[in-house]
Amino acid sequence: MSTATAIIDRTPFFGRMFNVDESTGLSDINAWPALIIMTSFVWLAIAALLGVLMPVIQFFDLNTSYFYTDITLHGAAMAFPFGFQLMVGISLHRSGGCMGRKATGPLVALFYICMNVGALLLTLAVLNGLKITYTIMYPLPITGVETGQWSMGTLILGFTGIAMVLASMIFFYPIKVIRMMFYEQKHEDLVLSERTIKDPGMLGMVMSVLILLVLGTPLMICVLALLMSLYGIVPPEAVTWASEPVVFQFVFYIFAHNLMEAMAIMVISAVYATLPLYLADGTRKLYSDKLANLALWILLVTSVTSFFHHFYTMFPALPSALGYHGNIMSWGTGVGAAFSIFTVLATIWKHGIKPEPGLIIILAGFILYILDGVGAMTAANLAISYQIHGTVWVGGHAMAVLMAMSMMWMGVLYHHYPVITGRKLNRELGLRFAKYYFIGAAGLFYSFMAGGALGMPRRFAEWEGSWNVVGFSFFVFGVILTYSFYLYISNMIQSKEISA
Amino acid sequence: MTDFLFSSGWGAFTIMLFFQIPFLIVFIRIVYKKAFVNAEPSGTHPKKYSRLEAAWIATTIVLFILINVISINYMPPISTAKAALIEDIREVDVTAQSWSYDISERTYESGTTVRFVAKSIDTVHGFAVYHPDGRVLFTMMLVPGLEEPTSLTYTFTDPGKYTVRCSEYCGMIHHAMRDQLTVTPKG
Repeated sequence: MSTATAIIDRTPFFGRMFNVDESTGLSDINAWPALIIMTSFVWLAIAALLGVLMPVIQFFDLNTSYFYTDITLHGAAMAFPFGFQLMVGISLHRSGGCMGRKATGPLVALFYICMNVGALLLTLAVLNGLKITYTIMYPLPITGVETGQWSMGTLILGFTGIAMVLASMIFFYPIKVIRMMFYEQKHEDLVLSERTIKDPGMLGMVMSVLILLVLGTPLMICVLALLMSLYGIVPPEAVTWASEPVVFQFVFYIFAHNLMEAMAIMVISAVYATLPLYLADGTRKLYSDKLANLALWILLVTSVTSFFHHFYTMFPALPSALGYHGNIMSWGTGVGAAFSIFTVLATIWKHGIKPEPGLIIILAGFILYILDGVGAMTAANLAISYQIHGTVWVGGHAMAVLMAMSMMWMGVLYHHYPVITGRKLNRELGLRFAKYYFIGAAGLFYSFMAGGALGMPRRFAEWEGSWNVVGFSFFVFGVILTYSFYLYISNMIQSKEISA
Repeated sequence: MTDFLFSSGWGAFTIMLFFQIPFLIVFIRIVYKKAFVNAEPSGTHPKKYSRLEAAWIATTIVLFILINVISINYMPPISTAKAALIEDIREVDVTAQSWSYDISERTYESGTTVRFVAKSIDTVHGFAVYHPDGRVLFTMMLVPGLEEPTSLTYTFTDPGKYTVRCSEYCGMIHHAMRDQLTVTPKG
């Protein structure tokens, strides 16, 4: 029994959902991915409850610091130890099973430890007073100490956690995937469905990890420099090149924006890999691999420099030329999405589909992804941004893209679950999950967009007037979404052995 | 019409729906038909797919270009450049610090063109100005340490009280960081 399997066995409640079927001889591509996925669901449970709690804090006029604590924890937990970690677990299993490489080893263990211990440290720091939202809002962490909002010790604890989480996302996971793709020994007995990086399902994965590694390294350098200064290893004067606010803001958003784009490219490639397996005529082929790859290339090239849209409202500090560039590139990602839409629909039209829960969940998530993408492109128009930036429209976009990607990944996991665990899921529960997740997520999305249109500011602890109506809508759809998570988890708990 | 689309949040919402509704109708219809009504492979000729693909991509690109070209006049860098031709611009200095604003002048006559030149001296702040009816007129992002302050030019036309709120999370009293501008009737 491997370390990963042992941890799963010892984990109460969640462990039952992800027990690995070791009789298949596929533990090398199942065990660590299962542990990573299981742990992501633990964080999901915590983050979901925190999300529902936010409107409650407002309605009952509780201390505003609770709201800022909640919003920091909810955002950080959903984005990284849940969303990113879920993606990592499933993608390691997929790449292992498609390339015949082991999803084990020191890099995987380091990823797991850094992601989860880092998230725990950050959680402790937030509970101890560090309220910086999941985008850090630099230089707020430093000025917060100067204004007495939190202590230096709390800041060091939180920044250490952030550095560990970033290291897991920027180094350990991408390097592992690159090794799996290009260097590690192939084991034929691990191959479930042979693919190469020419396949859209694999190409997107390579693109994503390269984005993370290349665009994240400058951020890692700055964070490590700051951390060394916080620990007193180097004097603060020696790291002003990293600590200058505009420097940190730019390296942060170059990475943070492209982190989301990389996760989107990764999940779109997973859709390309999974959709053909559910075609009614059994051909198991996309309408066009070339078109699918073209969509990924367009997404990659346009997304890298679209991050300037985070800085439009800094004009003229952000030169208008870069603002226009960001506008064009942001809408350029929509062209990539248009190719994806055509590929998906043409495939479905040409071959027909079997309405199995895994695929329906994936397609519902894809719809959410496109709906959110349109909302995001709208906000990325330079003129519109000046009315929308800083409102819940933008916060809602960040949430919606994560909800959409998570839904698609949950559909992919639904598909892979029997191979990982040796158990099959209930079809009716799966379809019911798809329905309630979609209603909850779409309802939240439009509530946030409407709130933004009303001028409701994001990250704001005191709702006024009509904002409370929008907030009530957040609560209702948030509860529906949380119910859908309950259905998904119930399905896994009630799953039966395939042989039964 | 274009004023509504590009100068208001609900205008943005309308643009968003303009793209979303056709997508939803087509996507859901196709998925439903090929999943639940008739899953048989379609006998559509390959050339028809190619024509549809070309038409779809061309339409998408044209609409994208159209929306953005129409918005050019509403982009603040453009309106700022145009405002530079106006002789009578009121320059107002804004300094943001947790959690208040120091604004050099808070009252303007209707029809006045104001250039806000804003900076932050501690952390990232926002300077979002709300019309008396509650909609956001514009927002500015103030990052400390910039060599050139953030600036934006706006012409106030409607008399009333304009709320200023911080639109960038800046700490535990972020929600209370606000101010007010007053626009008086002309004359």
